[in-house]
This record gives sequence, C-alpha cells and structure tokens, in this order.
Amino acid sequence: MKETNIMGIETSCDETAVSIVRNGKHLLSNIIASQIEIHQRYGGVVPEIASRKHMELIMVICQEALEKAELSLDDIDGIAVVPGPGLKGSLLVGLSFGKAIAFASGKPLIGVNHIEGHIFVNFLNNEEILFPFISLVVSGGHTSLILVQSIEQLEVIGKTRDDAAGEVLDKIAKYLGLGYPGGPIIEKMAKTGKDDAINFPRPLLNSNGFDFSFSGLKTAVINYIINSKAAQQEVNINDLCASFQRAIIDTVKHKTLTAANKYNISRIVLGGGVVANEQLRKELTEDAGKSNISVYCPPKELCTDNAAMIAVAGFYKLKAGITNSFDLDVFTE
Amino acid sequence: MNILGIDTSAKTLNLAVVNDDEMVVDYRINTVERTHSALILPLLNSMLNLNGIKLKQIEGIAVSIGPGSFTGLRIGLSTAKGLSFALSIPIVGINTLESYAFRWMDLPGKLCPLIRARRGEYYFAVFNKKHNSLHIIKGYQCADWNKIKDELLRYDNKVFIFGCGLEDILKEEKVEKSKNIENIHFITSNKNIANAANIALIGEKKILENTYDDIYTLSPFYIKRPAAEIKKEKDDSKDI
Repeated sequence: MKETNIMGIETSCDETAVSIVRNGKHLLSNIIASQIEIHQRYGGVVPEIASRKHMELIMVICQEALEKAELSLDDIDGIAVVPGPGLKGSLLVGLSFGKAIAFASGKPLIGVNHIEGHIFVNFLNNEEILFPFISLVVSGGHTSLILVQSIEQLEVIGKTRDDAAGEVLDKIAKYLGLGYPGGPIIEKMAKTGKDDAINFPRPLLNSNGFDFSFSGLKTAVINYIINSKAAQQEVNINDLCASFQRAIIDTVKHKTLTAANKYNISRIVLGGGVVANEQLRKELTEDAGKSNISVYCPPKELCTDNAAMIAVAGFYKLKAGITNSFDLDVFTE
Repeated sequence: MNILGIDTSAKTLNLAVVNDDEMVVDYRINTVERTHSALILPLLNSMLNLNGIKLKQIEGIAVSIGPGSFTGLRIGLSTAKGLSFALSIPIVGINTLESYAFRWMDLPGKLCPLIRARRGEYYFAVFNKKHNSLHIIKGYQCADWNKIKDELLRYDNKVFIFGCGLEDILKEEKVEKSKNIENIHFITSNKNIANAANIALIGEKKILENTYDDIYTLSPFYIKRPAAEIKKEKDDSKDI
C-alpha cells in the first residue's frame, strides 16, 4: 500500500507548529514552538506580537518537522492548513505559507478547521472511530458540542454564549495570581481541596439546549473571594479551586451525556486543552460507561494546540476527496 | 533570469515577472472585495498561464518587505517563502521605500519616498544618487509631516517627494499638483504605487550578485514596534 504523508501547519493562536503524519496513524514529527513565555508578560496573547513571531519561525519549524521525519518535501502527499477559527494575523502566516507550498509543488491543499483538528486527532491512536459521534471540544477559545456524522458533516449543537471554559480557568488563575495557563495550575491545587466546600453555580445546566455559559461562574468565584476578604474570612485556595473545577466538570459532563442520550449516540470524542484535565477524562469515561457509551480522548500532549491534529484531519479529508482551492481565506469565528 | 516580484505592502495586490532587466508581465488587482490572501495565488496562476510562463521557469523571488501594512507584508513574505522553499529558488526581500526611489531614479535631485503609516505619521527615507545607484542619506524612519518637512528644507538642492498617502499632505499644505514648497517638489502623477516590477528588477540584480536573503531569517521591515510592546515598556519603567 502506498504511504500517504501529510504535512500539517497550525498557527491559529500563539503556537507555531508543523507536523508530519503518515497514513493518519504514525506521528513522524510534531514540532511546536510555543510563545507562552512572551505573552505571559502581557497576561494574554497579543495578536501583533504573535503574528510577528509566527513569521520569524514558520520556515524554521517546517524544516525541523521534515528533518525529524527524515523526509524531504517531495515525500509529502498533501498540505493541511488552518483557515480558522483563530487570530487573523496569526492564521494568515501559516495559511499563506502552506498554500504557497502546495501551489508550487502541485500537492493537494486541505483546509482543516481548527476544531476539526481537535476532534479528528483522536483517529491517530484509535482505529477510525465509527460515525456518528458526539464531540466535546473545550479549550481556551472554545467550548462546543458537535454532532459528527462523517468527516464532512459536522453540526455544532451547542457552544458557549460567553467565555470558553479554558478562558475562565485562565482568568481565575490570573485573578488569584497563580500564573498562566490556568487549567493545569487549578487542577493541581484542586487535588488537595474539597470540591464540595463552596457551592458555585452551574449556569444553563438544566436548560433545554446544549449551549454553555461560564462568565456567571467566573463572576461568582470572584465575588466569593471579594466577600470573604470583606468579612475577613480566609479563603482556602485549594478548596476554592476544587469547587470551581467541580462546577466546570459537572456542567460539561452533564451537557455531553445529555446530548449523547438525546441523539442516541454511543460514542463521545473529546478534544481541546481543557480535556487534558485528568478528573474530567476519568469522570466522563466512568459516567458514560454506565450507559454503555465509549469515550475517546487524545493523549494529553495532543489536547493543546498542535499541528499533528491538522495533519490527521487532513489525511482523512483527503481520503474522502475533500480538498480546497488556492483562494482559501482566513475566518476568525 | 525570470524573477517573480511580489508586492502586498499596500492596498493594491501586484505581481510581476521580469527577465534580463526588462518587465515581462505586470498584473495588479485594486479591489476591496477580496483580500490579498484569497487572491495572490489565483492571480499568480492566471498571470503565468496567460503568458505561457511555467512555474519551473521562475528562478528567483523578490518580495516587498516593508515598510507597509503589517498584515499585507506577512501575507507577501509567507507566500514568497512557501514558493521559494517548494521551488528551491532564492528569495530576496526589497525595501518598499527603496523600490519607490528606484522607480523615480531619473529625477534631477534628492529622492524622498514616503508611505502613510498610522496616526498621521509617514514612513520615509531620503536618497542621493551616485553613479546610477541609490545611497540612503536619511532614514528609514517614521515621523509626522512637520518633522519630515523640516528635514527636507535643510537640503540645499531639490528634493522630490512621492509615494503613498501624499494627498493629506497636499491638502494640509494647500499645494496644487506639481507645485513645490521651496526646494520640496511633489510628484503626484503616479497614485498607484504598487511596485512589483521594480521590486523584481532590484531583486534580479541582487540575485545575480549573490546577495539574496536567508529564507529562514528574512523578516518584514516593520520600522514600528508592536504598540503593546512599547506601552508595556513604558508601564514597566514607571514601576522602577
């Protein structure tokens, strides 16, 4: 059988990443240059700085990905790029570079939505998961439930109306002066805290639809801290983190399982930086198991932004005959 | 040699091919309907196809690296790098102001190309000519018109000023077309300043002289630092 090597390029936010994946299964290289340290000083990603950094790094990272895979451009069978969603200036660097490579080398161009990447990266380590499935993508930029019927039929059935779950984790960690990114820090603190110490709200938990809302939860956590200080009560940070994390896990778990039941679907596929959270993975898997629903999640290092996920999704799209023309342009939402 | 010139530094998307110091084709799109990002490769494809030029016949790429629109510059340079890498041909970045000066090289005096930046400022430089080549004597800088004017009035002989965004200066100074303020002469005859052919012509010379750029490190010539970075530095210095 002929090998198919796909190069994935991802620059949608603050990671410059290029990866080469063979036959959608074998990770030949997965190079990620993170700008976290640069943006930490600003307390969040600065778009113009991120775009400049991508421009400086893109060729170096691409070459590194080929060298690590021990391949040359001639061995690549398709170029997978991300038109969005993400930061426009950042997206444009990876997209323009990838399109030009595909154009000049006569290789197919495959546009992969960033969210599709987070979903289909699960195909890397699992035999192609059977359709249909429900996918939960939770990250700093997204909190979405997606009904996936095939590689090209994806329907968003619920999304956040305000902040993404990861964004709220970042903001609370920043408010507490714990650092960035917030998810892993709060997870660590939560381990030694009591998750029923404080009863935080679970917004839209019992609403009919599958939309999320996390800004109310964020306000409740901040108010709790302010009120405790005003009453001169000491806040147990570990308890606070555990209770806050509990509220987020309860909400996404409940919505996801309800969606699976409503659509009568027995497979749930997770993706995005927040699903690196051990507790969330464990509980969702256990609770879903009770209803004979299987849960798939990517290895932790492939939860956060990477280009392997773009290459894997690109492989399956190409296999299904889906390619793009060279006027492919960026979109931000 | 066939050199592809790319200019995405301003509103007009411009591509050209030159060969042996002559312009072969020059295509431009001046629309706001679609972005440079969407149009650049389809335009390149049409230009090459309609003129019977094969991609494999392109032997080098010259790209406008600024100053200019930050996003525009990155679209051009990312595309140029992808093409250069996939075709294994040299890439050379050409300063946008230098390419304007090159365009007006025959004028009898000093040359001051200028590009409108944000907040009422302009990127500019001043060039002298010696033995048919350009020598920079002031710049590259970003300043408001009054500062640029003071600089130009200091020179004894004629200075010709041209480029992108002259209209506002002419309005402010109440200067009619082709008029002058003392020794400063305004050239307004060419409003469409997209300059891919001149970029390719300068690029061809550099490639022939083996003074092309490193594809890994070549970056846009922004002149201005990111606003957030400047603000942060100010805030930090207040804390000390």
